[in-house]
Amino acid sequence: MPLLVALGVATLAVWPWVAPRYFVFLASVILVNVIVAIGLNMMAGYTNQLSFGHAGFLAIGAYTAAVLTLRVPGVPVVVALIVAGLFTAAVGLAFGIPCLRLGGLYLTMATLAFGFVVTEAILNLDTLTRGADGLRVPTARLGGLTLSTDTARYYLVAAVTAVMVAAAVNLLRTRTGRAFLALRESEIAAQASGVPVATYRALAFGLSAFYTGVAGGLFAFVVGFLSPDAFDVFLSVDFVVMIIVGGLGSVPGSIIGAAVVTLLHDGLATFQNYRPLIFGALLIACMLFMPGGVMRALSRVARR
Amino acid sequence: MTTATLVHVVVSGLATGSIYALMALSLVIIYNATRTLNFAQGEMLMVSTFVGWAAQRVFGLPLVVTLLVAVVAAALMAWLVERVIIRRSIGATHWDVLIITLGLSLVLRAAAGLVWTHDEFPFPSFFGTRPVALGPVRLAPVSLGIIGASLALMTGIYALFTWTRLGRAMRAVAQNQRAARLMGISVERVYSRAWVLAAVVGAVAGVLVAPVVFLSSKMGLIVINGFTAAVIGGFGSMPGAVVGGMLLGVLENLAPLYLPSGIRYSVPFLVLIAILLVRPAGLLGRVEPRKV
Repeated sequence: MPLLVALGVATLAVWPWVAPRYFVFLASVILVNVIVAIGLNMMAGYTNQLSFGHAGFLAIGAYTAAVLTLRVPGVPVVVALIVAGLFTAAVGLAFGIPCLRLGGLYLTMATLAFGFVVTEAILNLDTLTRGADGLRVPTARLGGLTLSTDTARYYLVAAVTAVMVAAAVNLLRTRTGRAFLALRESEIAAQASGVPVATYRALAFGLSAFYTGVAGGLFAFVVGFLSPDAFDVFLSVDFVVMIIVGGLGSVPGSIIGAAVVTLLHDGLATFQNYRPLIFGALLIACMLFMPGGVMRALSRVARR
Repeated sequence: MTTATLVHVVVSGLATGSIYALMALSLVIIYNATRTLNFAQGEMLMVSTFVGWAAQRVFGLPLVVTLLVAVVAAALMAWLVERVIIRRSIGATHWDVLIITLGLSLVLRAAAGLVWTHDEFPFPSFFGTRPVALGPVRLAPVSLGIIGASLALMTGIYALFTWTRLGRAMRAVAQNQRAARLMGISVERVYSRAWVLAAVVGAVAGVLVAPVVFLSSKMGLIVINGFTAAVIGGFGSMPGAVVGGMLLGVLENLAPLYLPSGIRYSVPFLVLIAILLVRPAGLLGRVEPRKV
């Protein structure tokens, strides 16, 4: 495992030197999706709250970072990202705490509705967001540096992703993480052992929104242009696909799922009208032959 | 605004609502039997309506036969999908099956786009266009027809679930699968029949709504409204699905009259969130106690 991690970090570090420019951009997009998938997996994988509204959280993070950078020129990108994360987490908690009473499908539907309301709100707050015209995101600045190339932005994304992944892995060694694992195995057993279920479900919701908000901030700087229709329900569905295909409740699973789904979307782009056909067929095949996702399949192979 | 306009708007809301209610019912029928949320329900509706339409264009069929063709196509498709794909995933979790139906919806939409393009097509209607006048109120025959046909179908579903052997078997499986199996009910057969029944309800809804919204590969997105309706009413409750659908349809039609255009598309979702905050299991749903 340490060998695998070292290899991963080394690949990330040298990637812009060996890969063509487009693939540097693509790698940034994958890493942004990795952060979202890890965030979504905290809710869905550990506390069994599946959200179909994460495109909404991503949009809140993206617009927060972009508007902040527009209104306060020269704000360091790290500050913009932290503000994006915290603001999204605040919205997440404000929405998530009343939703604690909702179980299963009801929560899923509420989050789906949340996603629709967010895009509608972005359209209506056009003094801040420029509505349907879209918002050009200013270049990210870090101290004296201007992150104006794909490579510079890639390193920013890679560094933030590394921190977020490390935090997510280490979280599992804390009291909170153990509570999450207990909830993942059995909510009732966890409750019987004295784990305050509601508190940890709310915490998972907030943490998930924080991760997605930070990813949204990065998304804004990487893509450079925001418009509400980029954050539609299909994006939320994609995030759900990532964590289920990768493996619920697993950090490596989130990473694999995000990479696989992003690469598939990109690779199938040349097939145009056939793209959703192939993508859908692959999803069906994947779930039929690898129930539980890639991580479960890998662990089955390893055990053999 | 006059009362006549209001009545007109409410009636067309009930018509939209009937379609949502049928969509919600078909989701609930499959969910109750198999505990699966079928994301592809909308696309199955779309494909079966397209098949009916294509047959009508080639053979010049009367509309009743077109409806029959759509229903038979839906039943066949659902039977096949359940046999070939869903039944093979019996060992998988609900999440896996969710992704499978999601993949299926992508495949069906793309396939329909390849066969029939992504354009919109007019679809013949059972009902005329001359408004029906009731005193000062003028109502579109399409609205009344959709409401009437939907109510008839709902009555049929109610009768099926209440009085037939299959209906009793389906209710038994919904309540307790293991107990149902011990009573000699073939759970697999119930799964299969539930898929077929849901698809048939969807096909009727498709043929009813296609003249109003036009026939297109994007028609399947109506599944989101059906899902919203089912959740408002309480997921798993069949009367709830009907109430939720009607409520959603009426609200959607009333909102533009009273609210600024900015928030009117959010109304169903804001209403949904508000209802769930007060009644976490929907209007007619029960919070099921969990057993260990």
